[in-house]
Amino acid sequence: MRKKGTAGGLEAVDALEAKALPLSPRSIPSGLRLSIRGRTVHLRGLRRPPAGILRWLAILGPGLIATSAGNDAGGIATYTQAGAKFGYELIWVMLILTVSFAVVQEMCARLGAATGRGLLDLIRERYGIGWALLAVVVILIANGGVTISEFVGIGAAMELLGVSKYIAVPVGAVLIWYLVIYGSYARVEKILLLMTLVFFAYPIAAIMAKPNWMEVARGAFIPTFRADPAYIVLVVGLLGTTITPYIQVFQQSSLVERGVARRHYGPERIDAYAGAIFSNLMSISMIIATAATLYVAGHRDIETASDAACTGARDGQFGEGAVRDWTLRRNPPGGSGLAAGNSLCR
Amino acid sequence: MVMFSQLRRCDITDEQGRHAKLLDLSVALLDSDYPPVTNLFFLNDKNKKHWLPWDQVQKIDLKARRISVQDLKASKRLVAGSLGKDVLLGDGILDALVLDLLNRRATRANDLWLEGDESRLELRSADTGFSGFLRRLSGGRYGRISKSTLYDWKYVEFLRGDPQAVRNGEGYHLRVARLPPGEIARLSDMLPYLHAAELITLLPDAKAVDALEVFSPERQLQVFEELEEKQALALLTLMAPDIAADLVGRLPTKIMRHYLARLPEVQSERLIDLLRYPEDTVGGIMTNDVVSVRANLTVAKAREKLKEPLKTPDFVFIVYVVDNERSRKLRGLISLRNLITADDDQPLEEIMDPYVTTLSPLSSAKEGAYRVIDSHMAALPVVDEEGQLMGLVTVDAAIVQVAPPSWRTQAPRIFS
Repeated sequence: MRKKGTAGGLEAVDALEAKALPLSPRSIPSGLRLSIRGRTVHLRGLRRPPAGILRWLAILGPGLIATSAGNDAGGIATYTQAGAKFGYELIWVMLILTVSFAVVQEMCARLGAATGRGLLDLIRERYGIGWALLAVVVILIANGGVTISEFVGIGAAMELLGVSKYIAVPVGAVLIWYLVIYGSYARVEKILLLMTLVFFAYPIAAIMAKPNWMEVARGAFIPTFRADPAYIVLVVGLLGTTITPYIQVFQQSSLVERGVARRHYGPERIDAYAGAIFSNLMSISMIIATAATLYVAGHRDIETASDAACTGARDGQFGEGAVRDWTLRRNPPGGSGLAAGNSLCR
Repeated sequence: MVMFSQLRRCDITDEQGRHAKLLDLSVALLDSDYPPVTNLFFLNDKNKKHWLPWDQVQKIDLKARRISVQDLKASKRLVAGSLGKDVLLGDGILDALVLDLLNRRATRANDLWLEGDESRLELRSADTGFSGFLRRLSGGRYGRISKSTLYDWKYVEFLRGDPQAVRNGEGYHLRVARLPPGEIARLSDMLPYLHAAELITLLPDAKAVDALEVFSPERQLQVFEELEEKQALALLTLMAPDIAADLVGRLPTKIMRHYLARLPEVQSERLIDLLRYPEDTVGGIMTNDVVSVRANLTVAKAREKLKEPLKTPDFVFIVYVVDNERSRKLRGLISLRNLITADDDQPLEEIMDPYVTTLSPLSSAKEGAYRVIDSHMAALPVVDEEGQLMGLVTVDAAIVQVAPPSWRTQAPRIFS
């Protein structure tokens, strides 16, 4: 640790040669030049957040994780069903949902920054203990269901890769438990952010499926309505799986956890918007991928995501790589499990 | 003696047989340790919110769930300002964040315990237990009253989550100000940042600054930005220069310049001098509020001279001896103990230690920190190339530098 020794402490301090004192002259940055009280100074000790692209990357976090957690096993099943059953017809619903989703997410982020409190805290303070309890119970039930579907997803996906679900599910559970209990928020956030990279496989799959882009555009911008109950159920399903309460609770809590204060909220809204847009682009990619393959080939009764993967693979619509991608992709690993844990802890 | 949740289920009836549903009660928090109930609030027959002073109450019959008053028509309509400084029990205190000072924790009031009778009913304690929660949800059927979860209101600080509340003259017990700064900081960590800012505004400036110095840097900034400019300036003036420089250095440039231009000149110059050093250098972690004395004095004269300078700095255990106040060239050091125990007429040069390990302001902060820790001294002085005393790095600042991130805010800061 110590470099060349100095005579400091060995000789009387005033007997030392002036030059002997500094260890190694450093090249120091020029800093911010400011004139204060008529004195021009270079301030190099400012603790500033990173500038440029790094600054925007530093902002991304809660929004991206929260919304990506929405693309879980249940979500994927709904999106693939929408694509397989009705082709590109339901993409317009996703566009409208993106706007609503972004607004809701941004509102929660703003509430978190403006009050420094989580959503459930605010419900309790504003509407009383009864409504807060109702919200907690509803979220617990919804999260219980979501967590079960996540583990079903993990088990099914790992079985496609040849790993028994009796091994995959307990290992997954222990990993998530460890992250929730022992992982610091910053570390968990980094891990989950890294995992959102997996989602880039969706648009790649959509492009590789060679969809008819004119049809995609028509499905996106010309709304169609059908009196078919299956159609209505899927529209409601898309709404339910895209805007889920735990995502809002997680978004607000994580913003509070990050210590974003109201005076610094401005740029943070980008995270909320970016998260909503990114997550729904991935959902739309899923619809396009299944529409371009399963719908076109006439396989329109898909119950789960693994059905989609297996049917596609059997009929050669997805390459072997695509099946592997699919099985991996359908497990945003425990994002909503963490969100569930987080809402419980809050 | 009654729980607020039970009282709230009562109807109000008057001598003419009129009925109304009790909505809420207000208390005068400023009045005493146990705030008295001042008014009853209810919906009148036209579904408008009205209030009636507590002195109208004639009888409370909990079994019949009835509060008898003289005349419901004597009530007034609730408009903005009707409450004055009073606080509503149901809408204000119940479910709000409160500080349980006995257990040093932030919690929420699940129910409230009132004591007294028709003539004077007082808020005596807050129920923070699960039974209070259960009692409210079951309409009083379940939820045994347990003394172990009732906290004496005298030791409960009710926070509003509004840093402006103190300026608006809202009432507080202020017992929180009796806690040591570290405990106040730990309490604030359990609170949302607006509550933490409110907590800081409650405290006298000297205590507030001690607590603020212990906060994590992120929390410090959140809280500081919520303070009124006058208080913010007062706290920055009192704050240890190294911590103040770190805080000011995190503010947006415009605001930083604003504060640096308005601080008292001595403190402003200190902060500017510290901000000249990058944060990963010894200069970036040193403090420049150093007690120094001229070498050519006798012990008695030095004691006399140091009376004033010893009053404010955080680090006073070592006095640095310099050749004169202008050039401040370091000659040696004297511990405060030696200075007090030495003979009056001994020259300082005779009792000072001239063999001083020094640090250079531009060497690495980590390296400097290890040298301080290895030296087992409370601090090492920082001198420039000319041997001029620039400041010192205390062992606290050194530990913060080398400790794992999760420890940094927990490491005690005694000397700076």
